[in-house]
Amino acid sequence: MTGLKLRGVRKSYDAVEVIKGVDLDIAPGEFVVFVGPSGCGKSTLLRMIAGLEEISGGDLFIGDKRMNDVDPAQRGIAMVFQSYALYPHMTVRENMGFALRFAKKPKDEIAQAVNEAARILELGPLLDRRPKDLSGGQRQRVAIGRAIVRHPDVFLFDEPLSNLDAELRVHMRIEVARLHKELATTIIYVTHDQVEAMTLADKIVVMRAGVVEQVGSPLALYDDPDNLFVAGFIGSPKMNFLAGVVEQDTVRLPEFGNQSIPLGHLTHPPAQGSEVTVGIRPESFKRGGDAGLELTIEIVEHLGNESFAYARQSGGQMLTLATENGRSLQPGQRIAARFNAAQIMVFDKSGQRIR
Amino acid sequence: MTRIFAQLRLGLVYGALSLAAFVSIFPFFWMLVGTTNTANDIIKGKVTFGSALFDNIANLFAQVDMLQVFWNSAFLAIVGTILTLAISSLAGYAFEMFPSKTRERVFAVLLLTLSIPFAAIMVPLFVMMAKLTLINTFTAILLPSIASVFIIFYFRQATKAFPHELRDAAKIDGLKEWQIFLYIYLPVMRSTYAAAIIIVFMANWNNYLWPLIVLQTNDNKTLTLVVSSLASSYYPDYGVVMVATVLATLPTIIVFFLLQRRFVEGLTGSVK
Repeated sequence: MTGLKLRGVRKSYDAVEVIKGVDLDIAPGEFVVFVGPSGCGKSTLLRMIAGLEEISGGDLFIGDKRMNDVDPAQRGIAMVFQSYALYPHMTVRENMGFALRFAKKPKDEIAQAVNEAARILELGPLLDRRPKDLSGGQRQRVAIGRAIVRHPDVFLFDEPLSNLDAELRVHMRIEVARLHKELATTIIYVTHDQVEAMTLADKIVVMRAGVVEQVGSPLALYDDPDNLFVAGFIGSPKMNFLAGVVEQDTVRLPEFGNQSIPLGHLTHPPAQGSEVTVGIRPESFKRGGDAGLELTIEIVEHLGNESFAYARQSGGQMLTLATENGRSLQPGQRIAARFNAAQIMVFDKSGQRIR
Repeated sequence: MTRIFAQLRLGLVYGALSLAAFVSIFPFFWMLVGTTNTANDIIKGKVTFGSALFDNIANLFAQVDMLQVFWNSAFLAIVGTILTLAISSLAGYAFEMFPSKTRERVFAVLLLTLSIPFAAIMVPLFVMMAKLTLINTFTAILLPSIASVFIIFYFRQATKAFPHELRDAAKIDGLKEWQIFLYIYLPVMRSTYAAAIIIVFMANWNNYLWPLIVLQTNDNKTLTLVVSSLASSYYPDYGVVMVATVLATLPTIIVFFLLQRRFVEGLTGSVK
């Protein structure tokens, strides 16, 4: 098993810097997910690790070897692409064995590697078909199989499930998790789907505009985000953000009829009168608690196991509330939405978390 | 009333289409009929099959070394097609795959050259070939056409549909750029190549003006030159001309029918 180290890695296209100095340690066997909105640089960073994009500055180490100027094929990586990138003129067997054939490996070794990958991914009956005769899920399994036969030190996945329908995506997500368990190889996985990130990752790297905003385990990012961006990006539905002003031990919320909520237990409480943003996750309203807001429900969505209510106070900002017993909620109903003050998060004007 | 108008309209449409079909097909029919008739019959406008086919063939082969002429045309068309496709598809691939600041400007200049008629560059080209002492050689015929701007443009447009991730996947599989071109791009784009083969082969096979200027001895003449000289002699034997014309037409028809399916795919987008 091999780990990776990125030290001040940068990428520029002429004067435009798209990756602005990334430092990252990936332990051997770790499943790391890069997440972030479109254009944040996560795929570019992955392609730089793969050797498909030049590194403008900084160092990339795979294992102990500096890989900045090494050919993609010599980096010990294999990559699975969003569009599968299967060679359309070759059968599944030829696709999977192509890299080994090109590396002039003996025929029986290639056959053995292909059959082993086909066994792991249950591709046996499809080996003599061409990609155009396969479904989306099958094509993605072949793409993964093509990566497996190379026995790489590091697997790179570039939004591999984006082209699949919702049901298949869930199925393939489980497949990828099973594969990681079986192969115990380092995996770097790029996605914009935070559910994929939360369910698959040992470690999530949240990126925005070419900068790593936070690195941590999925639950650490959910429970303890460093800033507004990470707090908003991790968690579905998105965290509610309420603008407020600090007054003694409370935050006054002008958009909610100047109601006040307790500030919670902060080690470094903000100065009196300072403007802050309060973050409350929709699911914080499920369990009730020692604080509350008077709101009027506008829309209710029932998903069966839970309901989402969208509520506000007299033309103010809309809040999302998740409830487990919300089937009786009606639009127009006035409620006292209760939550635990200890669960709120407070951010300063620049978006940094106040702890 | 509307039904009558609809039928009348349909009748007119079919009438116009039939006329267009007749205008397109009749020259071919007359060419075939002409091979079996004597020059006199053809001049008189006879459009039924006659019995002079073998005389016409014998006369043609007596007047012209047909094997040599056919070989000359075939050599120029085949070698020209291979070279044009190799050079122009590489250029089209490179234009699309390697971004650079000057790429679009260079390409625009190349496209501009399409607006210059061949007649305008004919004389300077001849002078160039003369200085290179290439007059009356096949090299002089091939050299100006192997980098075809139209085919470069055609390949660049077709390459836009070539998935770039295939190139990335091939790089990770260990292929160099020329190997990606040879083992991935070429087979994936085979329909595009088929369409280009037809276009370039026909252009080379039918090439008339440039060979007319450059080729100066009989043993180098191509089929188009021979057909033309047969037709423009003092007493043209049209039966013989028709036989030569049929022979000149056959290869392009064969190439077209062999690659017909791929030709259509190539024009409608080859990457699926």
